[in-house]
Amino acid sequence: MTALSLPSSREEAWRWADLTVLPALADQGPSGAGVEVPAALGDGPRLVFVDGRLDAARSKVGPLEVGAVDVRSEHPLGRLATGAGWALRLGRDHSAPGLVEIVHVGTGGASHVPGLIALEDDAQAAIVETFVGDGWANRLTAIRLGRSARLMRAVRLAQTSGFQSLRDEAEIATGASLVTTVLAEGGAGSRIDGHLRLTGDAAFAEMGGALLTRGEQRHEAAVVLRHEAEGCMSRQTWRAVADDTAVASLAARVEVARVAQKTDAEQSLRGLLLRRAATVNLKPELEIFADDVKCAHGATVGELDARALFYLASRGVPPAEARALLTRAFVADALERIGVDEVREGFAAEADAWLSSPSPQRGEGGAQAEGLGG
Amino acid sequence: MATRNQEAFDVAEKLSTYEWGFTSDLEQEFAPKGLDESTVRFISAKKGEPEWMLDWRLKAFRLWQTMESPDWAKLNIPPIDYQDAYYYAAPKIKPTLKSLDELDPEIRRTYEKLGIPIEEQKVLAGVEGARKVAVDAVFDSVSVATTFREELKKAGVIFLSISEAIREHPELVRKWLGRVVPIHDNYFATLNSAVFSDGTFVYIPEGVRCPMELSTYFRINAENTGQFERTLIVANKGSHVSYLEGCTAPMRDENQLHAAVVELVALDDAEIKYSTVQNWYPGDAEGRGGIYNFVTKRALCQGRNSKVSWTQVETGSAITWKYPSCVLAGENSVGEFYSVAVTNNYQQADTGTKMIHLGKGSRSTIVSKGISAGKSNNTYRGLVRVGPTAEGVRNFTQCDSLLLGHECGAHTVPYIEVKNPSAQIEHEATTSKISDDQLFYAMSRGLGQEDAVALIVNGFAKEVLQQLPMEFAVEAQKLLGISLEGSVG
Repeated sequence: MTALSLPSSREEAWRWADLTVLPALADQGPSGAGVEVPAALGDGPRLVFVDGRLDAARSKVGPLEVGAVDVRSEHPLGRLATGAGWALRLGRDHSAPGLVEIVHVGTGGASHVPGLIALEDDAQAAIVETFVGDGWANRLTAIRLGRSARLMRAVRLAQTSGFQSLRDEAEIATGASLVTTVLAEGGAGSRIDGHLRLTGDAAFAEMGGALLTRGEQRHEAAVVLRHEAEGCMSRQTWRAVADDTAVASLAARVEVARVAQKTDAEQSLRGLLLRRAATVNLKPELEIFADDVKCAHGATVGELDARALFYLASRGVPPAEARALLTRAFVADALERIGVDEVREGFAAEADAWLSSPSPQRGEGGAQAEGLGG
Repeated sequence: MATRNQEAFDVAEKLSTYEWGFTSDLEQEFAPKGLDESTVRFISAKKGEPEWMLDWRLKAFRLWQTMESPDWAKLNIPPIDYQDAYYYAAPKIKPTLKSLDELDPEIRRTYEKLGIPIEEQKVLAGVEGARKVAVDAVFDSVSVATTFREELKKAGVIFLSISEAIREHPELVRKWLGRVVPIHDNYFATLNSAVFSDGTFVYIPEGVRCPMELSTYFRINAENTGQFERTLIVANKGSHVSYLEGCTAPMRDENQLHAAVVELVALDDAEIKYSTVQNWYPGDAEGRGGIYNFVTKRALCQGRNSKVSWTQVETGSAITWKYPSCVLAGENSVGEFYSVAVTNNYQQADTGTKMIHLGKGSRSTIVSKGISAGKSNNTYRGLVRVGPTAEGVRNFTQCDSLLLGHECGAHTVPYIEVKNPSAQIEHEATTSKISDDQLFYAMSRGLGQEDAVALIVNGFAKEVLQQLPMEFAVEAQKLLGISLEGSVG
């Protein structure tokens, strides 16, 4: 893996990326150290991958397939994920038996795993993916949704160190719906890439999430939502929190092809800076070739609203608690689209735990640390 | 009745083509075609420049040879053969002009046709109390006339072509040239630093409010020439200046390159208002010909409470690559950017601004209106950056796009990079088309379709047009209508 060729920050799409840790991680081997595997959320199918290999003892394969997956990508990181992986294929009108869980455990080194989710007409599924441990986890996920198929996907990036890179490539047919929500909260860096194509009329796609960064961490999302048919709707709701000297970057693009009249697209990118020297980068981009479209985008960066803090103080809420409350509300916007209650609550609890846990750089309470008005 | 018909024909004729597309038949002096060190030396020698200036140019040229043309913009730029152009073209005029009467009558007629008052008496003959505009006219590579020198001199204002300024005020030019846009800044700015042939230098002394609007008209006339002008404006403490810039070129089938650099410096409490109406030849309806307008414009708000306001109306050029920017280094400094960019037929524009907030309490406002028609592409690209020590920064950005027709594209690429939590950054954008209701209403009141569209477009761009000085606002409104001619229906 020493011949790893990675994009540089001189390339426009990688302007804010820092992939410098990857060559060293790629050269390491897995340590095989024990990593605690999170408890199952339900009794649905569950795959546990350790360093990219299936741990059959802790998995419940069910209707899932494990083995070579035929997905290809031109993406500089996604194309590395070839060979053995997993697939979920559901026939017409079928539903997955309960919540599907994929757990990626890393013990060091690099693992590249492709995944395929192919839902035929009217099929539906809910999938949760969790990343824990160490090393570089690189994943390519191809998603194909047939007519009126529905997929809810929630991804939690919670490795304690290393790097997580995701590449999603989706095709969404007429009337189908894809909702992907990402929570990046661990100690590792990440890069989330998405290229979602709405290829059938009146399809719906949403991709969003919360990036929580501290220390010298970097989380980054770069998502393209491409409208290629009439009357489609898309939503991108991202929230970025940056503490210490961390960098959180969001680049979201809506592309509207010439045929995609009556498009309704919305982007909401918001950044919250908890400390001086932390950085939030935003790029809400529109590329529009059709004239009868509704594309709205909003982007803001700042600190917690002083008026809201004042209001809470006037109601007797201590400043630290008030800050924590408002930060939670800020993050919650991006997580509320998760359709499965226990998953949404689980993600919210993880985000809460992050917000109230000590920062490694200062060893004090995270969001509550800085006093009113900074 | 016959007269009225004739008038109508005249108007139709005027509207149907690029009105400024004529060429002037002048004896021209060219540098040999192509670009190498000898071209740079030729230009410097022609200008009678001091050694330091030549060294500066050569340094830039050597650097340029190692650089690559930027490719990040949403533009399809055909490869440019830098050897197949003249880098210096000057109308053969007497070496020194004692008065404007000695100006070549053909050049004079050219500017008359363009409607630009380079004759002082013409302005003076106007209504008493009317605002005066001092004009510097740059014809291909050289400045041919600068008016109102005496009056400006009395106020202490220096308004010279940059070649003259290098000769007469070398200390000022040397101090500020390249301070805001350094020679290594970008491919086109570096090229400009090597081969710039003329441009304007303005210096407003401390506490002076420039008594009149200053204006430069750029005109490309000769075939196969590039125009590389350099503008440098320094506003000393507490001064104020309003500067206007207009550009035209003849209609030609080949593409011509215009790579200008504009540097503005505002010291404590100084204010510079810089307005541009860019109307370079955009190419014909099939996309043949037109100017490549690759311009670097940047202002340094160095002083406390300094302010720079960019206003641009971009209707011309086959390709526009232009990002007038403000480096807001001074405490409480203010940057503004108001832009209307219109593209029609096969035009491409990738334009916007950069607001770099370094000073405490600095504020910026960005209002961009993009109008795309025909088969054109119009991109707003902007950057708002807040440094870690810049407390209390405010920025408001609004980007609106209007699409006329279904074969054009409107794109928005805003970058927001914030390192200070006290910053308040807001970005809003909309994309829309002219609603049938609006059009129907305007037409039911007796307006023709073209006029109705022009009216609605002017309304859409109103926030920006209001920022223009009176003389330009009228011209800009007219231009918007003409540029969109034939785009509807």
